[in-house]
Amino acid sequence: MRRRTFLLSALGTAGALVVGWGLLPPRSRLGAADLLPAANGQLALNGWVKIDADGGAIIAMPRAEMGQGVHTALPMLVAEELDLPLARTRIEQAPFDAIYGNVASIVALLPFHPLERDGVLVESAEWITAKVARELGIIVTGGSSSVADAWQVMRLAGATARAALVAAAARRWKVPAKECTTREGRVVHAGGQQADYGELAREAAGISPGEVVLKARADWTLIGTPAPRSDLPAKVDGTAVFGIDVRLPEMLHAAVRMCPELGGGLGALEARAALAMPRVRQVVELPAAAGSSAGFAVVADSWWHAERAAAAVKAEWTAGPNAALDDRPVMKRLRSAVESESGFPFYWRGDVDEAFAAAARRLEAWYQAPYLAHAAMEPMNCTARVTANGVEVWAPTQVPTFARAAAARTAGVPEDRVTLHVTLLGGGFGRRLETDVIAQAVRVAMHTAGRPVKLSWSREQDMTHDFYRPAHVARLEAAIDGAGKLHGLRIRAAGDAITPRWGERVYPLMSLDSPDRTAAEGLYTLPYAIANQHMAQVATRMGVPIGNWRGVGYSHNAFFAESFVDEIAQALGRDPYAYRLSLLGAAPRYAAVLRRAAERAGWGKPLAQGQARGIALVGSYGSIVAQVAEVSLDDIGKPKVHRVVCAIDCGTAVNPGIIVQQMEGGIVFGLSAALFGQIDIRAGRVRQQNYPDYPLLGLAQTPEIETHIVPSTAAPSGVGEPGVPPIAPAVANALFVLTGKRLRSLPLVL
Amino acid sequence: MLELNINDRTLRVDAEDDMPLLWVLRDLLGLTGTKFGCGIAACGACTVLMDGHPVRSCVFRASHAAGKRVRTIEGPPDRVLRALQNAWVAEQVPQCGYCQSGMLMAAYGLLNFHPEPTDEDIALLMTNLCRCGTYSRVRAAIQRAARALQGDRA
Repeated sequence: MRRRTFLLSALGTAGALVVGWGLLPPRSRLGAADLLPAANGQLALNGWVKIDADGGAIIAMPRAEMGQGVHTALPMLVAEELDLPLARTRIEQAPFDAIYGNVASIVALLPFHPLERDGVLVESAEWITAKVARELGIIVTGGSSSVADAWQVMRLAGATARAALVAAAARRWKVPAKECTTREGRVVHAGGQQADYGELAREAAGISPGEVVLKARADWTLIGTPAPRSDLPAKVDGTAVFGIDVRLPEMLHAAVRMCPELGGGLGALEARAALAMPRVRQVVELPAAAGSSAGFAVVADSWWHAERAAAAVKAEWTAGPNAALDDRPVMKRLRSAVESESGFPFYWRGDVDEAFAAAARRLEAWYQAPYLAHAAMEPMNCTARVTANGVEVWAPTQVPTFARAAAARTAGVPEDRVTLHVTLLGGGFGRRLETDVIAQAVRVAMHTAGRPVKLSWSREQDMTHDFYRPAHVARLEAAIDGAGKLHGLRIRAAGDAITPRWGERVYPLMSLDSPDRTAAEGLYTLPYAIANQHMAQVATRMGVPIGNWRGVGYSHNAFFAESFVDEIAQALGRDPYAYRLSLLGAAPRYAAVLRRAAERAGWGKPLAQGQARGIALVGSYGSIVAQVAEVSLDDIGKPKVHRVVCAIDCGTAVNPGIIVQQMEGGIVFGLSAALFGQIDIRAGRVRQQNYPDYPLLGLAQTPEIETHIVPSTAAPSGVGEPGVPPIAPAVANALFVLTGKRLRSLPLVL
Repeated sequence: MLELNINDRTLRVDAEDDMPLLWVLRDLLGLTGTKFGCGIAACGACTVLMDGHPVRSCVFRASHAAGKRVRTIEGPPDRVLRALQNAWVAEQVPQCGYCQSGMLMAAYGLLNFHPEPTDEDIALLMTNLCRCGTYSRVRAAIQRAARALQGDRA
C-alpha cells in the first residue's frame, strides 16, 4: 500500500465513522454548564469552569496526573484567562462527555513528516481526524498531548467565564461591559465599584457572552512563569492518594498470580491450604482479559495476607501460544523480516534506488533494541465495588474511557452504571493506558457480596506481566556521492506494531489494523536535508504483549537514526555537531535547538581527561530536543554520564519549571534504558522479576542536567516524552569518541 | 496483640509476628503515606524511621518494632522533617510523588546522622529509586534543608 493510498483509506474509514454525524447536535468543546455537577453554592459557567461560593474556580480535569504536572499546567490556562490567582483554583475530575476527549493525541497518530505539513492532503486528513476524535471523545492522557490539546479550549473556557462575570457586573452596575476589567478574582469598574466573582456567579450563569477574545501574549501574567506545582504539598506530607492508597469501609485486599508464561492459561487450582491461612477469604479465578494472562486472585483482610496465601496456592498452568517464545530468535526473525519483506513505506522523497546506484560510497549498519518494562514505582492496582446498583471503580488510569468500558464489559452492565474515580498515578509511562488490572479488580469484586476490593500486583507480577516496549531491528543505509555528500538514506525496520495491538485490547469496537506510525516515528521524521530517502517498516507479530512505553517508537528509533547520522559524519570526517547543522538549512527550529545545546555544552572545548561528548537531536510529539552528554568509563569500563546539556523547543512554554523537570525526568528514564534496560524472555516467561535484575538509574549515577528552553511563540507541544529519545544516542555517540567502538544495540554494553 | 509506638502514639494492632511493618502500617493502621514498591527492600519507597534510623519497612517485621519509636511521613513534623518538606517544595522535587515519602524519610535519617552532608554522602546514602528521575532535585533539596537547619542553629 502506498502512503497516499493509506492516507486516503484512513480518510475513508474516518468518513464512515462520521456517517450520522449530521444527526448529532452541533457540539462545541466549551460545553454547557449543566455538564458539571454543582455542589452547594457552586455555579457552572461552562463545561470546564465552576465558580465557588468563595469566588475561586473549580476546573474540570479530564487528564491524569502521573508526574508530568498536568494538574498544574491545565489550570494555569484557565486561571490566566479568568484573571484568578492559580492558588484560588482547584480541580475536579471531569465527567464523561465528548468535550473532554483528547483530540490532539489522535490527530498525532497521522503519519506525516513534521517538516512537510503544508498541503491539502495533510490539512484535510487532520481536519477530518479531529472531527472524528471530537465525536469519539476518548478521554486519555498520553502522547505528550495534554497541554497541546487543552491550549485553545481551556483558555477559551476561562475567557468565556470571565466575559460572563464581567457582563453580570456591568448589568448589575448598569455600565457598559467595556468599562469593566478583572483583577485577581474581582470585576472592577472604572468608577470604583468592585465585586468578587463569587458574588457575581449566579447572575453570570445566565449569561452567554458573545464573541470572546483570548488575551494577547503580552498580557499574560501566569502562562510562561514557573508557577509551583499545585500537587506538591500533598506529595511531601503523605496525604496524596494514589490508586494503591484507596481505603473504603469494609474493603478487602486481593493479590494475584498470573500464568508465568505470557498468554498462557489456568488449569486446575488447589487452594485448600491457602484458604486455611489466617484472614484469607476466598480465591477467584481470573480469565485472560484486556490482554492479561489468565490467573487467580486471593482475597484477604490485608494485601500481605493475600499475597502470602497466593504463594500457597498450587496452580496448574496450561501452555499457550508463547510456550516456545525466546527473545533471541525474535531478534533473528526481525532481522530476516527486514531482509525479506518490503514493509509499509512511511516516507520517501527523490529516488533512493538511483542514489544508491550512483553512490561513490555506501554505509550500512544494523541496529537493535530489546523489550523493556515500564516498572512504574506504584505497582499495578485497582479498587472496585460491585453491587446491584452498579460498579464503582477507583483506578490510577490514563484511559478513563477505556477503563469504564472494561469495567462495564467485565461486570456485564451498561457503561452508565459504572462510576470511575481517577486517583493520582504513581507513574504511568504508558503502562496505565491498559485496562487489564481494572478488569481483574471488577472480576474479583463480583465475588465479594458488595464489599469493595483493592487488587494490587506484587512487583514480580508487574515486571513479568507488562505490555513491553517491542523489540525492534533496523537496517540503515547511506549513499554518499562522489563529492562526499549524503545523497541517499534508506531505512527498513521491523518490529511489532503498537497502536493496533493496544487498540484491540482496550477498545475492541475500533480495531483498525492500519500501519502504525509509532513503529516508524523517529526513522521517517528526520529533519535533515537528504535529497533521496526511503523509510519502510515491517510490522511483525511476535506474540509478546507489547504496548506504549514513554517515547514509544522514538525511544528506540531515535537511537538508531541519531547513531547512524553520527556514523555518517564520522565516515565523512566531519564533526558530528557541525555536520548535523549543515543538513538543517531547511529546518531552522531544529538548527536553533541543536545550536543552543552545543553552545551551552561548550561543544569543541576541551573536557577532563578520559571524557568525551556525544550529541543527538530528535523531534518528537511536536517538540524538538537536543542533548549533549559528557561521558567517561569508570574503573571497570562501564559508561558513566557526568553531565547532560539539554535544549528544547516545545512551542510556547506554559510552565518552564515543569518543562525543565520533565527534561530531567526524561533523561534519567532514558538513561536507565540506555545503560541497563533489557527484558529477556525464555520459554514464554520474562526472566526479570524485580528492580535488582531490571535496574534503574540511582541518585549516585545521575548526571548533572542542565536544560535550556528555546523561546517560541508557536502553540505548545509535548514535554512528557521528548526528553527521553535523544539520550541513548547522545551517550552512544560519546562512547564512540571515547573507545572507537560503535554500539548498535541497546543497552549500551562495551 | 502488638503494641507499637508510631508517630508518638501508642497503637495496638492484631498482627502476626512475621507481618512486615509496611503492611501493618498500610492495611491495618491505614497509614498509607508509606508506599509499597518492590517488597524486597530494593527501592526504598517503604522507608520509615526507627529510633531515627531509616528502615525499609517492607522487610522489617512489625514485631521487631515493638519498643522502638517508629516515625512515618504522617507524623507531626519536627524541625528536620519540616525543613526537608519545605526544601522539597522549594526545589519542586516530586513528579508523580509515589516514591517521595520514602525519599523524604531516607533524607530525614541521613540528616539525623549527617547534619552537613557532602554530595558524596548523599550519593552514598540515598539509594531509594525514583522512576520519574527526581534525583538531582533530591540532592539539592537535602543540601537546602541542611543549610536551613544550620542557619536555625547559628
